[in-house]
Amino acid sequence: MSRGVAADATSLTYTYQVAICGNPNSGKTSIFNAITGLNQRVANYPGVTVEKVTGRFSVGGKNPQRFTLVDVPGTYSLAAFSPDESIAISALSCCVDSQKRPEAIICVIDATNIERGLYLLLQVLEIGRPVIVALNMIDLAEKRGIRIDFEKFSHAIGGLPVVPVVGNRGKGIRQLKEETAKLVDAPSGAFLNRLYDEVTETLLAKLQTRFGNNHLTRAEYLRIIFDVGGPAEKRFVQEKGDEARTVLLQGRAAIKDVWYSLSAAETTPLTGKAAEISRLVLKTEGSHEETTSEKADRYLLHPVLGLIVLAVTMIVMFQSIFSWAQPFMELIDTLFGGLAYWVETMMAEGPLRSLITDGIIGGVGSVLIFIPQIAILFIFIAILEDSGYMSRAAFLVDRMLRWCGLSGKSFIPMLSSFACAVPGIMATRTIEDRKLRFITIMVAPLMTCSARLPVYAIMIAAFIPYKSYLGVLNLQGIVLTMLYLLGIVVAVAVSFILSRTMLKTKRSTFLMEMPSYKLPMVKSTLIKVLNRIKAFVVRAGSIILAITIIIWALSYYPRSQEVRAEFGKQLSALEAEYTAEKSSYKARLTELLKDQSVEATRIAGGIFKAFAQVTEKTNLEELRTRLTAENPAQKEIIQTSFELRSQEMQYDEAKTQLVNRQAGQHLRDSYFGRIGRTVEPVFRPLGWDWKITMATLASFPAREVIIATLGTIYNLGRDADAESATLVNKLRQAKWEVGPKAGKPVFTLAVALSVMIFFALSCQCVATVVTIKQETTSWYYALFAYGYMTILAYLLALVTYQLFAGMGV
Amino acid sequence: MTYLDKMMPGQCGKVLGFTDDSPVARRLLELGLVPGKQIAYLRNAPFHDPMEVQVGPSCLSLRRSEAALVAVEPED
Repeated sequence: MSRGVAADATSLTYTYQVAICGNPNSGKTSIFNAITGLNQRVANYPGVTVEKVTGRFSVGGKNPQRFTLVDVPGTYSLAAFSPDESIAISALSCCVDSQKRPEAIICVIDATNIERGLYLLLQVLEIGRPVIVALNMIDLAEKRGIRIDFEKFSHAIGGLPVVPVVGNRGKGIRQLKEETAKLVDAPSGAFLNRLYDEVTETLLAKLQTRFGNNHLTRAEYLRIIFDVGGPAEKRFVQEKGDEARTVLLQGRAAIKDVWYSLSAAETTPLTGKAAEISRLVLKTEGSHEETTSEKADRYLLHPVLGLIVLAVTMIVMFQSIFSWAQPFMELIDTLFGGLAYWVETMMAEGPLRSLITDGIIGGVGSVLIFIPQIAILFIFIAILEDSGYMSRAAFLVDRMLRWCGLSGKSFIPMLSSFACAVPGIMATRTIEDRKLRFITIMVAPLMTCSARLPVYAIMIAAFIPYKSYLGVLNLQGIVLTMLYLLGIVVAVAVSFILSRTMLKTKRSTFLMEMPSYKLPMVKSTLIKVLNRIKAFVVRAGSIILAITIIIWALSYYPRSQEVRAEFGKQLSALEAEYTAEKSSYKARLTELLKDQSVEATRIAGGIFKAFAQVTEKTNLEELRTRLTAENPAQKEIIQTSFELRSQEMQYDEAKTQLVNRQAGQHLRDSYFGRIGRTVEPVFRPLGWDWKITMATLASFPAREVIIATLGTIYNLGRDADAESATLVNKLRQAKWEVGPKAGKPVFTLAVALSVMIFFALSCQCVATVVTIKQETTSWYYALFAYGYMTILAYLLALVTYQLFAGMGV
Repeated sequence: MTYLDKMMPGQCGKVLGFTDDSPVARRLLELGLVPGKQIAYLRNAPFHDPMEVQVGPSCLSLRRSEAALVAVEPED
């Protein structure tokens, strides 16, 4: 097939596919960023959790050639033992979702570690596509005294281009693009090495001719042969049947006869050839004196000093997440609050207004509110990753986390979850081992996130006495600490169990390279952060919004007209009464001022104004006493102004109460209210009345919603917040309406504890559930996390309530 | 001959091979623990595990259980 002609004819529309691969830490991503800039798109490879980043670029001025560049996950080899790992080979040699092979491959090799890069390159060459070698970090290599003969290098790999590059400074990128453009139209890889021995080649040829399939490359046949039980073998046997399987097994036996092990048959020729080429192209090997990184590691990886540095780094990081994100979160909150208020003033009352303000604006706000924390955390994580410190942190804590089924790599995600589980779960992407990653994802939401704090704050303020012990410890603080500890202890227990049952790891490994320390590049850090935020908003945002609207509808409908009419009637009665009283006071004031002097009228005006400015009832009394003492002559005017103003205040208060009572009544009548009363028996063993039950159900989208919901049910209006002293009082005064406990307070210490423990362990956060779904690509794990957390929360709250209620508190 | 996990921090040696044919052994090889290469045992993490070694230009971390797969000829 003449691809060249086809490309010429359609050069305006044809887009070439190019893939870029390389070892982890070879600087592949910095080259990818340098080539494509911000022209990137992040998705997941179908069926697995590996991120697929693609970008676009073009070469040439007038009639540019267009390219799509696929960033293949970093890999040391094409051998694959898990579906996640097999992505590299499929992305390079066939058809990940586009059903199209890359027309050229850029293989990035770290110039300071040529031999290991060559190992991968030799495997990549078997794919049979043109390969362009990008020899990255050439500056660093030169600094270490490594001299490379590019011509010999190119010659040794059959004349393929070798381009020296400094990815993070954009050096050599132009040449790399041009060489790529030159090679995409080449018929096939110029270099087909016959590295492997006779037995292997015979088997390969046999498989190729007898079970011929033009879609498979030599590289894929090698995977079929060498990866025992791997994805390539499974697919092949499934397609070609038992005969193919027999031939394969016989061939493998023959290879084993010669090599003792299959692995040796592949790796021995590869390492041999890599060493040979490396010897050939290295003019000088470079000195082995201690690098700055190695010197730094003497302190940063020191058993004691290293841990101290790590602890300080983490403290600074989390302080920043809380303190820097706070103003932005408040800003977003204020903006959306303001927007909702504006809409409220612009529109007539009704379902549409409520949908827009409470449903849509509230929903969008609840997604965006996460962005400041996500952004700041991801900036830190990107810096830690790009600087090379992340691997060190994992190294330092691995032993401590291992016994409970986690690993060093779970550390940052778990810690991040104390701020918010959403970025924490997204941070698990650095864990390669799938099962380990899933365990981390399953337990991360148990960490006490910042959204739990308002719930704890109000419950503790209301029901835990402020008692001090030994001068420093106080009971409220102790309870709060215990709640944090509870999350950690349960997480440890759950991961301990999961790692030995559902997500049992055969042999968890901790093979990891410690990259040299590097100064992170602003551009690549920002690209990474932006991509992740975009992914969160787009993927999680839509579902969160949908669920928020459903919850809104459940707590808005049905809205009885009678209730509205009834409250409307009461409101107008109140208004009429007030208007009548107001005019009688006004008349009296006019009467009193009738025969006064100009001076006295002026003073009276001042008095009237002073009262109008007072907003608190107690201040009103004070003002009256003070003014009467100052102007005994104006006593009557002062008294009348005082009465007028207090009347006004009483009216305002009565009106707010009425409106709040109406909102409370509607909520009680809503589907949610009904559900709350229906399922009340389920939660009664926890000591809850239907109001708590309903508020808990309504806080499924976001746990902090319970404060607002409790506020509405207890007729306080939606503005109730954690510092709301009135809500604290209302909760303390709440009484059982019916039943055996009628008239007794709802919230005892036992109930407060059971509510707090329920909130500590349950997964009331749509954002978290949706993020788990996105990150594990399965609703199964999302629902599992939701289910087990809810059950655990229920059981522990039950035990707590029964225990404390039994003790009579 | 000894195994990597039996060596002392600071000790150097030469990689001889692996005790088995497992994927872990293969991954170690791909990371640079190629038979014949010089290997230096740099240090332990807190609580003596994992450990850090240097082969050629790269530093690797691995657990003791993984290091037990690597046969090494130590230098004195």
